Amino acid sequence: MESVRFNFPAPQIDESVDELRKEVRAFLEEEVRSGGFTPVTDCWCAGIDPEFSRKLGEKGWIGVTWPRQYGGRELSALHRYVITEEMLVAGAPVHAHWIADRQSGPLILATGTEEMKQKILPQIAAGKCFVALGLSEPESGSDLASVRTRAVRVEGGWEVTGTKLWSSGAQQCQYMTVLARTGERNPEKRHDGLTQFFIPLDSPGVTVRGIRDMSGVEHFNESHFEKVFVPDDAVLGAVGEGWKQITNELALERSGPERFLSTFVALEKALQQGAPNMSGHQAAVAGSIIARIRALRAMSLGVAALLGQGHSPEVEAALVKDLGTRFEQDIIERLREFWPVRMKQGYGDELQNLMADSLLRSPSFTLRGGTNEILKGIIARGMGLR
Amino acid sequence: MGFDMEETDQLIRDTAHRLFTDQCDAETVNGSECGEAPERLQKAILEAGLTLAWVPEAAGGVGGSLALGFSLIRQAAGFALPVPLADTLVANLLLAESGLEIADQWAALAMDGGELPVLVQGKVSGVVEAASGMPEAEVLVMPVTQGGQIRIAVFTPSVVDVQHHESLAGEARSRITLNAAVPDQLSDPVDGMTADGLGQFCALVRACQIAGALEKMGELTVGYVKERQQFGRPLGKFQAVQHKVADIAGESAISGAAVEQAIRMISSHPAPFDGSMDILLPVATAKVVASEAAGKVPRDAHQAHGAMGFSFEYPLHQYSRRVWSWREEFGSEFYWSERLGMAVASEIDTHGSGKSATRAWDVVSR
Ligand SMILES: Cc1cc2nc3c(=O)[nH]c(=O)nc-3n(C[C@H](O)[C@H](O)[C@H](O)COP(=O)(O)OP(=O)(O)OC[C@H]3O[C@@H](n4cnc5c(N)ncnc54)[C@H](O)[C@@H]3O)c2cc1C
Repeated sequence: MESVRFNFPAPQIDESVDELRKEVRAFLEEEVRSGGFTPVTDCWCAGIDPEFSRKLGEKGWIGVTWPRQYGGRELSALHRYVITEEMLVAGAPVHAHWIADRQSGPLILATGTEEMKQKILPQIAAGKCFVALGLSEPESGSDLASVRTRAVRVEGGWEVTGTKLWSSGAQQCQYMTVLARTGERNPEKRHDGLTQFFIPLDSPGVTVRGIRDMSGVEHFNESHFEKVFVPDDAVLGAVGEGWKQITNELALERSGPERFLSTFVALEKALQQGAPNMSGHQAAVAGSIIARIRALRAMSLGVAALLGQGHSPEVEAALVKDLGTRFEQDIIERLREFWPVRMKQGYGDELQNLMADSLLRSPSFTLRGGTNEILKGIIARGMGLR
Repeated sequence: MGFDMEETDQLIRDTAHRLFTDQCDAETVNGSECGEAPERLQKAILEAGLTLAWVPEAAGGVGGSLALGFSLIRQAAGFALPVPLADTLVANLLLAESGLEIADQWAALAMDGGELPVLVQGKVSGVVEAASGMPEAEVLVMPVTQGGQIRIAVFTPSVVDVQHHESLAGEARSRITLNAAVPDQLSDPVDGMTADGLGQFCALVRACQIAGALEKMGELTVGYVKERQQFGRPLGKFQAVQHKVADIAGESAISGAAVEQAIRMISSHPAPFDGSMDILLPVATAKVVASEAAGKVPRDAHQAHGAMGFSFEYPLHQYSRRVWSWREEFGSEFYWSERLGMAVASEIDTHGSGKSATRAWDVVSR
């Protein structure tokens, strides 16, 4: 439907959601107090700590929406939302399990074999199994349909060859979902003939090499697959249907709180420091940031509510991500007015560190998960312009 | 809220939509700025009872929810309604809240977010810089203050000292000066009403109007860039234009989300005019976000329209001029940002003394 009128309904928050929030908050406070972790900015991408992920698994806070038989708790999307946003604002090191909890788990649930579900999902929910996303390649970024990684049929399965680039956290992951070409390229139907595979990263023929990013973190990777054999049941969903799955996956993952809260820890720290002597001018900057975060959160929760009602709010989700990711960059730019960012992280002052790290990580916000230019294209299509 | 109320609300929303669609076209709006009073439209609105949406049934009104009134206000803004429906709705609500008589007529709202006039021994003195709804109004509704308590005073417009002005959009904004004037009616002090609370309510009304107008600007822009051809194709096929339209959609959507969130909050609040922090938070949010958008959206929408959007005949300016004036009224984004920032800082800072918030996040997620 073409429309420029959007509706962001209220989430249905019941007591159990509030209770869960309290529990999560208390746990995180205690973790910080006892030195379990030091808050980091952009923690869902830069904070990797498998041990911490296991703790969350023990708490039962990963895969909460999944069926019980696969290790889930059959809670609502809102319960998951609350857990994730509390993790983000605490700066907790959640990257190791983030993708598996958000994306790979649901993908397996929707497209995996029964055996895969029984084997993998409980492991993910326990915080012990991590999954990387193998979409981008050296020659394929925004134009994802042009991937060159190929899978060819061999006896009993497939043989995968190609290179995946920028896969977040792959060095910590046991598996990668890999998008590969399984059918001939057809210039008329560019999205046909793509298939997703679930590949153990310890398979013979796989090499994973960490890539240091500009903020100094070695968080993304180049992974090479050289004639890697995978059995038939490693195919996720139907052969040739990979594109449709990916676009569904991405559409739903665009509107979560990680799209506007990545740098919230820096804002929180700045306000904690500034509150006792806040000038009118500082208050105006802080107030305008807080207003926008509250509004973005209302949109994001609205999308969650729409999803819960069975709608597919693709445009609304793209709007959240476009506005939200630009804004998490803006936050740092605007706080600079009061807290200039000069020193490299490690300088000692916690606010300085968070600001510096946020700034150094900020270019990635509007790239990862599909760039803002691509998102704007999706929005424009939704309004009938393409 | 019972099922009946929701049904009534929907009925009235539909009626309003039909009425505006039929009787408030672009010519009517432009005409009303060129001396052709939209009399048919005015009459139809009064007859449909839209101005009484917030008046209880017992007082001869519709008895609609707060949400209903706000949705009428938003709809009206999407038609650039050249009639003070929003102002009369609020004025009538104040009459109802204070137990005064309400008539089936246009009412002016003598309040602009500035200091309220003062009541001394039954006489009112003070200046309201920008009362709204004046030319049509048959009553002038004015909150006044006496020792911190709010009462509602009613005057006959023709007997008070009025200087007529117009907003950027040609909406009546009148300066009213009172010097120990005796009101026609004066209410008792109204429970749970503060000057701040009144200002917040009206700020939300303006934010809601902005959201309605921005939506329309998005619609006009999408429609225009699909039609208008240059270089052999519709403008909307150019990526630079598409991205402007996406930006309009984003700002319009976020304003709408912030406004709806505040309306939900205020609708379920036991004392919507008391100015407490739990109302300040969503209202300030809405007015900051909407007022910021009221700068961005007109810029992009006009750019996408070329010279056509700059002409008087094409309706775009009716919306851009409105949002440019509404964003200033009852507190701009600058005013409300500072209020919000200060409120958050003081919650964080005074934590030791038993307040609920320790973190900005507690405030954001509330
Ligand atoms: C921190 C981080 C983590 C990531 N994690 C993963 C991961 O786990 N797995 C994975 O597979 N990938 C990952 N990526 C890769 C990410 O998905 C890509 O960066 C993204 O899709 C863009 O591709 P690209 O970098 O090749 O840029 P390009 O596609 O080359 O684009 C470069 C610029 O050109 C613009 N552009 C491209 N096409 C168009 C067009 N048609 N119209 C207008 N502008 C256009 C883009 O918007 C961008 O501004 C990650 C990236 C980052 C930064």
